[in-house]
Amino acid sequence: MSDQHLLEVRDLVVRFRTHDGAVHAVNGVSFDLAAGEMLGVAGESGCGKSVTNLAIVGLLPKPAGRVEGGSVKLDGRELTTLKEEELRQVRGSEIAMIFQDPMTSLNPVLRIEEQLIETIQAHREVTKEAARTRAIELLTAVGVANPESRLRSYPHEFSGGMRQRVMIAMALALEPRVLIADEPTTALDVTIQAQVLDLLRRLTEERGTATILVTHDLGVLAGMADRVNVMYAGAVIESGTTDDLFANPRHPYTVGLLRSIPRLDGETGGKLVPIEGRPPDLIDAPVGCSFYARCAWRTDRCATETPALLPIDGGKGPIVTSGPTATHVAACFNPVAPAEVAEGRPLPRAEGATR
Amino acid sequence: MLRAALVDAQLARPPRGLWGDAARRLRRNRPAMVGLFCIVLFASAAILAPLIAPYDPYAMNGSSLDAPSLTHLFGTDLLGRDIFSRVLYGAQISLFVGVGAVAIALVIGGALGAIAGGFGGRVDGVIMRTTDVFLSIPSILLAIGIVTALGRGMPQLTLAIAVSYAPTFARLLRGSLLALREADYVVAARTIGASRMRILVRHMLPNALTPLIVQATLVLATAIIDIAGLGFLGLGPTDPRTPEWGTMLVDARRFMQSAPHIVVFIGGAIVISAIGFNLLGDGLRESLDPKLKR
Amino acid sequence: MGRYIVRRLIAAIPVLIGLSILLFAYIRILPGDPCVAILGQHRTPEACAALRENLGLDLPLWEQYIRYLTNTLSGDLGASVVNSQPFLAEFLTRFPGTVELTIGALVFALGAGIPLGRLAARKVGGRIDGLITGVSLFGVSIPVFVLGLALVAIFGVILEWLPTQGRIDARARFDATSGLLLIDTLFAGRLDLFVDVVRHLILPSIALGSIPLAIIARITRASVIEVVNEDYVRTARSKGLKEKTVDNRHVMRNAWLPVTTVVGLQAGGLLGGAVLTETVFVWNGVGRWVVDAIQNRDYPIVQSTILVFALIFLVVNLLVDIGYALLNPKIRYQ
Repeated sequence: MSDQHLLEVRDLVVRFRTHDGAVHAVNGVSFDLAAGEMLGVAGESGCGKSVTNLAIVGLLPKPAGRVEGGSVKLDGRELTTLKEEELRQVRGSEIAMIFQDPMTSLNPVLRIEEQLIETIQAHREVTKEAARTRAIELLTAVGVANPESRLRSYPHEFSGGMRQRVMIAMALALEPRVLIADEPTTALDVTIQAQVLDLLRRLTEERGTATILVTHDLGVLAGMADRVNVMYAGAVIESGTTDDLFANPRHPYTVGLLRSIPRLDGETGGKLVPIEGRPPDLIDAPVGCSFYARCAWRTDRCATETPALLPIDGGKGPIVTSGPTATHVAACFNPVAPAEVAEGRPLPRAEGATR
Repeated sequence: MLRAALVDAQLARPPRGLWGDAARRLRRNRPAMVGLFCIVLFASAAILAPLIAPYDPYAMNGSSLDAPSLTHLFGTDLLGRDIFSRVLYGAQISLFVGVGAVAIALVIGGALGAIAGGFGGRVDGVIMRTTDVFLSIPSILLAIGIVTALGRGMPQLTLAIAVSYAPTFARLLRGSLLALREADYVVAARTIGASRMRILVRHMLPNALTPLIVQATLVLATAIIDIAGLGFLGLGPTDPRTPEWGTMLVDARRFMQSAPHIVVFIGGAIVISAIGFNLLGDGLRESLDPKLKR
Repeated sequence: MGRYIVRRLIAAIPVLIGLSILLFAYIRILPGDPCVAILGQHRTPEACAALRENLGLDLPLWEQYIRYLTNTLSGDLGASVVNSQPFLAEFLTRFPGTVELTIGALVFALGAGIPLGRLAARKVGGRIDGLITGVSLFGVSIPVFVLGLALVAIFGVILEWLPTQGRIDARARFDATSGLLLIDTLFAGRLDLFVDVVRHLILPSIALGSIPLAIIARITRASVIEVVNEDYVRTARSKGLKEKTVDNRHVMRNAWLPVTTVVGLQAGGLLGGAVLTETVFVWNGVGRWVVDAIQNRDYPIVQSTILVFALIFLVVNLLVDIGYALLNPKIRYQ
């Protein structure tokens, strides 16, 4: 692995201080993102997806949340140690974000115009007029009709889908190199979801924007992402190209996740199977595999040792961390065999067989 | 199997009801406990006044305007009456009139609010416009109006304070009831055909009571202040010798230069009682509203 | 916006009618012969006849009410039974004093309350937050007259820093046209007297402003804490805005909304509190006048003061609601 990635996250650790003790929200997350790539991040709510993203841009809720270890590098530049003012210049301009709920993510008392222009003017020495012209371009690009008059509107005068388009326009205003979209369509109607996702994909492809697309909806990732990270209890537990991961999931949690979503192609015909149990309380320091309590494949080793993220074929070659040839890795001592995937649980074995 | 045991232990935490939970949170809330202490102090001064007051609050027991001493803890007033004893008996008036007024206000306001919020329609409109009228008059002026119209005296004082708070209670209860009308479990009760009255009494009122309890506690603080205010304006008890805190302050004020401690003792008594109810009210609000849990 | 104002004005009509009925009843529920009850020791056969005529006491009740309504609407708000002075004339000479006092209190409450609330919100749970919470608790728990007396004792009697009685040095001679001494002294070119008026205003303003101060600080704190956690504030930060811009534009523009409403509601408390504050500071305003009226059983004065204060309260809240609508686009375009 010689060349540097656009974004490199290494062993990121985030803790939240609460009245009940420290919450181990992110426990050593590492991943890379290449220019132009779209990385999907999947996992249940509370698994650390959003916290990881907020930590990257230094927006963890203060003073409770803190990055307690690891590094985040953008183009080789360390972000976790930047001063607030330097980090501010990165935000919005080099790394932009889109959040889940467009109803609450736009300021209700400010016109769309003000919210777009202030973004541009926060990073560029341009006149208000120039910023306004740019705002109109952006609204046109995201498909808002009559952009000139709509600039004068307030967020509540827009539909949810339109608001999310405005959010996208705002995020792309400064041609950022990285776009983090945190559940960008979860709050929208299904039909609108598809439109917004299409738009997002088209604009990021056109501009070569590297994107992190966070969602709990694996269906969305299947059609959009180049690669997928599956997260559980504050850690990446499986990662690979979208094709590899969907065709050959190896971590019991990924298998469970895939089996718990309805499929429209009807190919499997199998029942929907929920994953039993709840994610662990992140207040306890993790001991052993975090999925242990819910896992059908667990062994005694899983209770005491934490599995590392390793190539699924046990190969000794270099691990490729981005791009279409990315290595498929999983953190599991007892990965799911391909034959077991459809069943969703270990197949009965012959007496005496051991693993 | 340590992990599994941990998970089980967590799921096995015994469930507690809303009230149990609230009581536990309240006990942990230090400001609320300080408030409770102030209230206990105030209430025992009031209730035990006849037992613990060293002197008859109406009788001359020393020379005029004695400084605080061991014989007269708070000193004496112009007529040589023991101020400590008078402050204790003053607590009695504040407590009885205050609690009485808030209780009456709760009954009147609660009934109006329940009718308005429970039945809606034209009744609601009439009740709400009526409360608007009362709320448009600054509360101390409303109380002044009532006392001047009915004449001075404890019952009138109590009623005046009660009338000026009742509209707030009515609106508060109505507001909670309206919000609850859309609550899922109320809609559910309606779908299975529970009667209107049953839904109101069994499902809505108990849940709407919480803000009312909090408000009543906070209003007790205001009531104590307002009673003293009316007394200070000369609208207190009929007998000017009555040891009512506000009335006593009128006298005390005349000796601000020579005996400032009198104002401090009486004012302090009012402030401590009011702080007590304010602290407890805030604490109750925090512990009764699980959403506020942080 | 125009429609909104009109709707609010229409909504005020039933309240005004209710208010007039209430105040009409006020004088008529006094026990005993109205002439004796109202005029008391100032009773003479002539005065009695005039009162009967004026109130229409010999007419049926509803006609009395109509008469009260027409009189009130034509500006006849009754007269003092003590000196037969018409209410309105006397009221207008005293009102500027009350206006000056309430504005002074409001300036104090807003000027200190909002920064304190913002400061507390920035350090939630910290020592400063605790201190400010304590101060605001004290503010709502101390009666204005007790605080007033304490201020008089400390700053007037002991330290002798500030005057504790009246609105201006009693020996001052100048042309008081508007009755608002702050303005009059400036127009008269008497800077020395202007300073004197300000000095007189300080203690009463603090006494009267302490409750609104406490409430405004609390609501500002709560409101800022709530807004700070809103998604759009996170959005604003994620756009790389300067912290100051986030604070002033995104946080405060929204946090203002509940504060505005509360300020309007405090107007009632201020008018009521003025009655007590003016008594403590021997302040020549409506409040002290009404206290005198209470002591003299001058019911028409009490009655009309309540009416006028209620009207002012309604108007202030209407203005505040309009201000709220201007700040909040969701309402503005309804």
